[in-house]
Amino acid sequence: MTAELSPAAAAQRPPPGDSARTLAVLGRYLAPLKWWMLTLAALLLASTALNLNLPQLLARFVDGARLGADADLAALTRLALTYIAFAVAVQLMNAAATYLGARVGWQATNQLRADLTGHLLSLDMAEHKERTPGELIERIDGDVTALSNFFSQFAVRVFGAGLLLLGALVMFWRVNVWIGLGVTLFAALTLWAMNRVRKIGVEPTRRERESSAQLYGYVEERLAGLDDVRALGAGEHHLRGFLQVQREFFRNFLASWKARATVWQLSMGLFAAGYVAILSAAVGLYAAGTITLGTAFLLYSYMSMVEEPIDQLSQQLQDLQKAAASLSRIGELLALRSELPSGTQELSAGAPELAFDRVSFRYSPDSEPVLKDVSFSLPAGQMLGLLGRTGSGKTTLTRLVSRLYDPSAGAVRLGGVPTTNLSLTGLRARVAVVSQDVQVFQASVRDNLTFFDPQVPDEQVAAALREVGLGDWLDGLAEGVQTPLPTGSLSAGQQQLLAFARVLLRDPAVVILDEPSSRLDPATEATLTAAMTRLLRGRTAIVIAHRLETVARADQILVLGAGEVLEFGAREQLAADPKSQYAALLRASAGADEESAEALMEELLV
Amino acid sequence: MTTHPDLHRYRVDGRQTFALARRIIAYNPALFVLNMVLWASVYLLPAAMAWTVSELFRRLELVTPGPGAELTPVWLMLGVFAAIRVLRFGVFYAAFLKFIELIGTTGALLRRNLLNYLLTASGTRTLPDTPAEAVSRFRDDVEDVNQYIEAWVDGFGMALFVLVSVWLMLRVDPLLTLLTVAPLFLMIVVVSRLSPRIRTYRRRMREATARVTDFIGETFGAVGAVKLAGREEQMVAHLRRLGETRQKAALGDVLLTELIRGVNTNMVFLATGLVLLLGARLVVGGQMVVADFVLFIGLLPRLTGTLGFFGDWIATHRRTGVAFERMGRLLTDAPTDEPARHAPLGLRGELPALLPQAALAEPLRELEVRGLSAQYGHEVGASGGVQDVNLTVRRGQFVVVTGRIGSGKSTLVRALLGLLPHQRGEILWNGERVVDPASFFVPPRSSYTAQLPGLFSDTLRENVLSGSGEERLDRAVRLAQLDTDLAQLGQGLNTPVGARGVKLSGGQVQRTAVARMLARDADLLVFDDVSSALDARTESALWDALSRELDATCLVVSHRRAALSRADWVVVLGGGRVLDQGPLPELLERSAEMRALWAEEAD
Repeated sequence: MTAELSPAAAAQRPPPGDSARTLAVLGRYLAPLKWWMLTLAALLLASTALNLNLPQLLARFVDGARLGADADLAALTRLALTYIAFAVAVQLMNAAATYLGARVGWQATNQLRADLTGHLLSLDMAEHKERTPGELIERIDGDVTALSNFFSQFAVRVFGAGLLLLGALVMFWRVNVWIGLGVTLFAALTLWAMNRVRKIGVEPTRRERESSAQLYGYVEERLAGLDDVRALGAGEHHLRGFLQVQREFFRNFLASWKARATVWQLSMGLFAAGYVAILSAAVGLYAAGTITLGTAFLLYSYMSMVEEPIDQLSQQLQDLQKAAASLSRIGELLALRSELPSGTQELSAGAPELAFDRVSFRYSPDSEPVLKDVSFSLPAGQMLGLLGRTGSGKTTLTRLVSRLYDPSAGAVRLGGVPTTNLSLTGLRARVAVVSQDVQVFQASVRDNLTFFDPQVPDEQVAAALREVGLGDWLDGLAEGVQTPLPTGSLSAGQQQLLAFARVLLRDPAVVILDEPSSRLDPATEATLTAAMTRLLRGRTAIVIAHRLETVARADQILVLGAGEVLEFGAREQLAADPKSQYAALLRASAGADEESAEALMEELLV
Repeated sequence: MTTHPDLHRYRVDGRQTFALARRIIAYNPALFVLNMVLWASVYLLPAAMAWTVSELFRRLELVTPGPGAELTPVWLMLGVFAAIRVLRFGVFYAAFLKFIELIGTTGALLRRNLLNYLLTASGTRTLPDTPAEAVSRFRDDVEDVNQYIEAWVDGFGMALFVLVSVWLMLRVDPLLTLLTVAPLFLMIVVVSRLSPRIRTYRRRMREATARVTDFIGETFGAVGAVKLAGREEQMVAHLRRLGETRQKAALGDVLLTELIRGVNTNMVFLATGLVLLLGARLVVGGQMVVADFVLFIGLLPRLTGTLGFFGDWIATHRRTGVAFERMGRLLTDAPTDEPARHAPLGLRGELPALLPQAALAEPLRELEVRGLSAQYGHEVGASGGVQDVNLTVRRGQFVVVTGRIGSGKSTLVRALLGLLPHQRGEILWNGERVVDPASFFVPPRSSYTAQLPGLFSDTLRENVLSGSGEERLDRAVRLAQLDTDLAQLGQGLNTPVGARGVKLSGGQVQRTAVARMLARDADLLVFDDVSSALDARTESALWDALSRELDATCLVVSHRRAALSRADWVVVLGGGRVLDQGPLPELLERSAEMRALWAEEAD
């Protein structure tokens, strides 16, 4: 997990100049909150000062009370009342500081989370191929939350604990230089030792987490596949598997708590020695007549003011290291730049002409080209049927239109303008893509269609659904477009229709459609065909077709083979040309089995 | 995590909660008693420490400072103090180790019992919520029960501490003790009021956090779609809104926690102040000495905290009842004490042995369904169930159930197999009524592949075998047309399939599920629409292989010609009813719906 461990990661670590950038990140998010932070600091200073006075008051009371019958009752009463007032004030200020710290932390990091997400979304797809969503959750929420703990806790706990420890040490020094020196050394040693020992717990804790993730993952999978397990009579088998995973978890659970307990053990042991030592010193000094009984008690009380902050500090030091690592990773992410710079021109209104001009493309400089010298021109408002075997480069070709990637050579033009000159947001707003696997979110129907945009009215969402033929489905939903859309409840056909509705809501000028290749049930397929016709009307379109029926409606046909254009032209012309691949396909399909349109394409197309 | 309306059906009252906890504790009573004793020592030692320090000061006060001061009694007390500190060191370690062992064991027992019931108990089993929600029964609710057991372990020791502390204080001055300790009992009220609210905030925060992380995961899982749709800003804005909700819950939690801590600390301070105030008079009157103050000041903070614990006790008890209720709802028809059943866990050493699979008593001659009616869950967009279905499957037949989407094909086979409850009708196996289809229709009688099969993150081999013998592997793989895939997958049968099979293509998942089904011997093979992820040619090859090599009876949901044309018998469903059934040629002649389905397939 930690970047420090692997040499490869170490090599990738940002150069020294980047730590300045890391600090700049910190500054950027804390600067707007500086007044809150100043208030926080003031509260902590005041509460620590008062807190340090409490044992003094007790000591003076003890000295006063020693006099027994001769004690000054009024003075003792005053001391008692002052004690109560101070104590209550300390508590109030501490509570306020904790609340403020948490507030500052959440505000700063929520901003950071949003900015980081926006930034990551702006990166190109090549960058995203490198990272799994799980990893990004860890970066955006895991790292930022570590940072949030740091923001909110560091101020209060580390700063507060540091102040208290410092104050307590000063008090010891004031009582007696030697005791002061002794306690200071003791505190330093304890902090150092506890920090060392805490590391023992890190690895077992990681193993425990991993093992607990495995345990609950095991359970979740079996519950998700409950029917499979039960109908196959494999319940006992999976229960046994569970017991095995659980045994591993139990072992790691014990080991990790045992390792962590070492820290408490150490602290208990060291402080046992510390308390005994301080009491011995107090007894010795009192017996020698150097200090009063009250001061002896004072020494004992201050020891707890050393114990508490040391505990806090050694805990927070770990978090501090974690936060520093998180911050540097966040800095790295923020420094990434997209390889796809946005242009400035906007697409003109209406469906544009689409042209590929000697386009070649490879995914990385050292890989084989996926597209080789592809040129064609699709008139505005027409539909292109894109044919070719699996792996011939069909999908890649469409990705260049939507600028998920840029050509390695040549240019893709929309309405005569190279796509690289167009503003990226403008382009994406006008070019819509419907891929085979439709992404649905665990959210309401409307959020799924609008991508969580609250601006789009419900009526518009409903209208889009009706237009693609999901009207009946919508009427069956309990809360209309607000109904949550549980994944898995939709058939493949319905998902495709939802994707159509998504596109309709945006009213794009260019549509790229990857037709579903698996066969849907006949009724759904009919609905889908009708919706597709409506969707493509008046728009420039590329359709990656898997059915001859769909191809039959295209204006132009392009056949790709191993990244090269094998055939391009108007459909009627190609159909009439007996030498064309398309004509061969039509001939073969005439006498063939109904199922094999796709198989035929695979076989016949080079 | 809203309280479900029918939760009251699983109501677990205070007495039952107690009884269940007792039964769980009885799984390893010696461990529990040992915990009680050890923790009682852990909690009592601080009282002893406060007392020793006070006694030390009592003796110190009598010492006249100067050379030759008689310090032996003081050093002696310091020695006792040191000994107690060292003792605490050892006792705590032992207590801690025994405690995690106890908690680890009880948690394991609860989880085992929950999963065992869901996986193996008779009757139809459907989850009340999503699997993820069900997992929180295994995690959060088990955690709640563990906290309850912890509360029993702690409670005993803490009660002893309160008694001893109060007794020590009473010896000094009863009135002073009464006046200072009585208000501390307010802590019980404060905590019992506030702690449930803190938990509400924590739960809200957990939920809000889950929403944030799920959303980030979904956003980047669909990053291509988001970018292509040009909706980056909307997504970020939504994340911002989710973040604000979480911030609110988090700050609410902080505020209340601070409030409790504040009340707690202030109680200590006030009590200490009161001791000083009232004590001042006693000092002047000669009834109190410095050492007595030291004792009070030493005991008061821990006493307050301990009373706060008792304030939380009632809430813990109630929460545990709710945890048991939720477990009950997950297990639907299980007896209340099912989660607390005693069963071998194999936490150390050997796992409990597996029972051998029972041999088939009576091979299938005829399966008959009479007047079957079943509803299809309450899922969004799912069309209805089936009504009044009659059909018969004879040994060796290939029976196809066909119909449009939503016509009830899946519902029919799932109800037949007991995966869904049926409301009316009966199922007869060789003429005898099947009482509990869920536990009856398993290998060696029948085997099943779902429309969207669930695979498990393990190797392909383990997925296919799922407990069957290795010798069945080859044939199952071959029959399921999975052998060509094996060549493509880098590690063949040892390829890990990923969570729910994500590393495989849809077709590979389907073929793996078919292989898994064929790896166990079964008389009746039930396929629910394998065509959704298989191309026509593979599907055809699969049916060919089955009829060639197995003497299997097949019940197949399909709309493909590949299946229909080889069917001995076709059942046409429409709107949840059997529209017609018979051999295909006859149906094509007399059923308009059959003709329509057949024709649409041809397009």
